[in-house]
Amino acid sequence: MRLHHLVAKDVMRRRRRVSYAVLGVVIGTMTVISILTIGHAGESKIYAQLEDYGANLIVIPAISQIDLALGGLDLGALTVGDNYIPAAKVSQVRQITDDMVNEALGIEDERYRYSSSVAPKLYANTRVGDVSIVVVGIDPEEEMRIKTWWRIQEGRYLEESDQGVAGAWVAELLELSAGDRIVLNGVDITITGILRETGSNDDYQIFIPIGTAQRAFDKEGLVSVVDVRALCTACPVEDIADEINMMVAGVRAVAVKQIAMTEMGMMERVNRFMLALAGITLAIGLFGVVNTMITSVHERVRDIGVMRAVGASRSQILRVFIYEAIIVGVLGGIFGYVAGTLLAYGIGPIIFGGTAITHVPRYFGLSLILAIAVAVAATLYPAFRATRVKVADSFRSL
Amino acid sequence: MLEVKGVSKVYGEGTARVVALDDVSLSVGRGDFVAVMGPSGSGKSTLLNIIGGLDYPSAGEVVLDGQRIDEADENALVDIRRGSIAYVFQQYHLLPSLTALENVLLPLLFRGVESGTNKALDLLTRVGLEKRAEHKPGQLSGGEQQRVAIARALVGNPSLILADEPTGNMDQKTGMEILDLFRQLHREGHSIIMVTHNPETAKHAGQLIVLEDGRIVSRIDQRGDKRNED
Repeated sequence: MRLHHLVAKDVMRRRRRVSYAVLGVVIGTMTVISILTIGHAGESKIYAQLEDYGANLIVIPAISQIDLALGGLDLGALTVGDNYIPAAKVSQVRQITDDMVNEALGIEDERYRYSSSVAPKLYANTRVGDVSIVVVGIDPEEEMRIKTWWRIQEGRYLEESDQGVAGAWVAELLELSAGDRIVLNGVDITITGILRETGSNDDYQIFIPIGTAQRAFDKEGLVSVVDVRALCTACPVEDIADEINMMVAGVRAVAVKQIAMTEMGMMERVNRFMLALAGITLAIGLFGVVNTMITSVHERVRDIGVMRAVGASRSQILRVFIYEAIIVGVLGGIFGYVAGTLLAYGIGPIIFGGTAITHVPRYFGLSLILAIAVAVAATLYPAFRATRVKVADSFRSL
Repeated sequence: MLEVKGVSKVYGEGTARVVALDDVSLSVGRGDFVAVMGPSGSGKSTLLNIIGGLDYPSAGEVVLDGQRIDEADENALVDIRRGSIAYVFQQYHLLPSLTALENVLLPLLFRGVESGTNKALDLLTRVGLEKRAEHKPGQLSGGEQQRVAIARALVGNPSLILADEPTGNMDQKTGMEILDLFRQLHREGHSIIMVTHNPETAKHAGQLIVLEDGRIVSRIDQRGDKRNED
């Protein structure tokens, strides 16, 4: 028989009292784990919502305007540089963005590489009848990944090179409906769908595949602008912009700072709030356990006296209580994780409207560590008092 | 082996001052059986606690095998309880979670001795409880619990057994059986100091000490001649 056997037997006999202590630990860890689990789900939800904000990096041609003046006479402005980006540079932009994002995320394995959305666009003006409209050549797939808010109001999304979708207003203006054919700069296009109103410029534009647009408007191998969506809190969006400006000639990359900073700030605030809540709950749990442990010492004054009388040292008495605390901590950690996860499933959807809660296995380890730390911390003072029990007094008090 | 010299114990101060022991001296040799008698509150248990290092005297010395118990620090007292002195209490004081066998093994556990089961079983046989080894204290009668407590006291080979009214909670018959057990231990060479109310014990003790109001009022040695101390 060893000391921990003695403790285990004692815990078995006093299971009711011990379960009170476990309950105290469970309440603390349960709250922490449920907060973290809900926070984890909320984080995914926030990420998902942030994705809807669209591009956070815009690459435009590096053009500059030089004001011309002679004495006091204004001679207008001269535009220097190209109005288009060679399509070859789009893949360079993609390469740099993906490399930096994966480096920031610490992903080395090719199979798990995070791939950013890079959507090149070619803008062109044309007339349909006597109406002047903007035609936008897009990569249909990439565009949809960035413009997650796009909904098809009628018909379906474009698939073939001779198909297109129209914005809500332009469709109304031209009296277009799904299946209609129009001629854009001499190229036949079938309108497969009409977009739902977005409140943005998209409402006034007709979208066709970029290859078709390049041929129709004689801009082979050229794009007007590239929208990049590289979203994650770790994304160094401004660094990516700097890198692109340095490495790719003839383009100017602009980080959409506002979005990036909002993302960061929101997550930081949420995390800080969660941590504060967790800390307070743990502290409350700690006091509950201290109370139970003090009672436990009080109840066992006689047993402590017996152990001292037959040769237990103070450090052995201390160990009896620390072992008990570890048992309480392990049980509290297990039940705290289970209860916390269940609680998260229960109240998570109420807090983050409809968010799907998933249990987070790595919080189990955290739960155990927290619970054991709380139980041991709560036991230190009562255990110290136990070591001061005088043998003669412990028997006299009966 | 044991020398108690001029031991006094005073509780409280001023008008609340209580003298529990007043200048008590006694000497116990190896193999002696000393019975301590006296009315309630005469200081018997206090004397036993001081001899056992469970309480400190206000004055005087307690020397066991050349070691000052009254001056022993915490660590020295732990060593004394692990080696020299074992206690048997009126209330048995067994741990309720443990079986009889485990209770006997308890002193060895705190000494870090893991092998001792055979010895503990031998001792349980010695006190007549070989069939009760796996019972918990709650399943044992008072007499049986006290036998377990005696086996527990013996497991560490103490040089002195201190017994504080070991038959106080028992009926006459059971008490006699426990006293018989102590007498046998005495015959086997164990040194015993026993506080008792039972006059029977006195007959068999080598030395009888009677306390009243903290003073020794009577001492009877093994040859049976009585002398008053006042």
